[in-house]
Amino acid sequence: MTHEIVLTVNGQTERATVPASMTLLELLREPLHLTGTKEGCGIGECGACTVLLDGAAVTACLVLAVEADGCDVQTIEGEANDGQLSTLQQAFIDAGAAQCGFCTPGMILSARALLDRSPNPTDEEIVEAIAGNLCRCTGYEAIIAAVRRAADRIGGEGSDG
Amino acid sequence: MLGAFDYVRARSVEEACRLLAERDDAVILAGGTDLLVEVRNGLREPKLVIDVKAIDELARLDPSDEEWMIGAAVPLNRLAEHRAIRESVPALADAALSIGTYQLRNRATLVGNLCNASPAADAAPVLLTLDAKLSVAGPKDFRTIPIAEFFTGVKRTCLTDGEVVTDIRIPAPPQGLKTVFFKQQRIRGHDLAVVNVAGSYDPTAKTLKVAVGSCAPTPVLLEPTEATGSTAAIAERVVELAEGATSPISDVRASAEYRRAVLPVLLRRLVDRLLSERSGA
Repeated sequence: MTHEIVLTVNGQTERATVPASMTLLELLREPLHLTGTKEGCGIGECGACTVLLDGAAVTACLVLAVEADGCDVQTIEGEANDGQLSTLQQAFIDAGAAQCGFCTPGMILSARALLDRSPNPTDEEIVEAIAGNLCRCTGYEAIIAAVRRAADRIGGEGSDG
Repeated sequence: MLGAFDYVRARSVEEACRLLAERDDAVILAGGTDLLVEVRNGLREPKLVIDVKAIDELARLDPSDEEWMIGAAVPLNRLAEHRAIRESVPALADAALSIGTYQLRNRATLVGNLCNASPAADAAPVLLTLDAKLSVAGPKDFRTIPIAEFFTGVKRTCLTDGEVVTDIRIPAPPQGLKTVFFKQQRIRGHDLAVVNVAGSYDPTAKTLKVAVGSCAPTPVLLEPTEATGSTAAIAERVVELAEGATSPISDVRASAEYRRAVLPVLLRRLVDRLLSERSGA
């Protein structure tokens, strides 16, 4: 049986007809063509599919599309504004925090959720926030530095943009 | 696609119970972080998934004077970030934060952790030492189940057809209650427990309660101990009780021998942490 759902994705209202067993990840990647959200393990271990659901970081592989009915979803495609990278994205580039790039969208959204709830996080808080995002390339140090750099810049500018 | 099930967003506990009783192969969906993995891995094939997160009363988190109530739809992060929980029963917050990753804890619930009934359920030992009770709604009536009676085996609980756990109740922690949770795991990141232990010490009643997980088919509450005498002697009593009450097995995470070796270490550390500041100790 299918369900009619309405949700907001990156500020846009989206309507979709989905089978009950479709995951939010499948909805984003296939009908909505938002392929920035990656599928890694599919069982909530790797964090590559991290998105913000009503502002909270979740793994989209363990959320049903139908559960997101009426919710607000942010994916990596919603991080830049009018083609302008966010401070957080620029910090990832400047710190060399991406190598193969597969984990990067999820990493950035976990960091986004952290900065939203704790604008000036300690390194320990950064590590805890990204502990659910596995990266097989960087060894994490550059990623932690990027989040730290973004927090400092956003604090200095008084806003993100 | 995760198999072929249908989905209902229940609007009331009555509706959830009715659907669960009426339909074969119906399951309750709270956070989904265990259920959807099991469905994906082919371990469960539900025909109907009943989402209970939209039922208002299940989202309540209410520490009041006499009894603390944690609704079945409260995610672990919300529980662990609650100030009264963190301050009065830090072991419960520690146990909640040891489950999964940050993203998972935004979905996973305390009640779900119990209903999944893993022998390694991290929330179980703490709740056993706090005399928690589960409120259960059924097709006909309500009942309350002490957590010590809830688990009946690996992945098994005493819930019967159509019964839904609506919340967990904990007696308001007595003044000065100390609680501690320790978890031995293979890596520092998120992992299931090799052994997990929790303890609570009430300095007024001088009672020490200790529970052990991952060492028997269910989490086990040891016989409460009177905290008199030296800390070392009390620790040895607790170790002896634990050895009699557990039967560790070898699995992918650890061997039975390792579990038997690490359990006393964790218990001595636990008792020491709980009792070291005792007056007159």
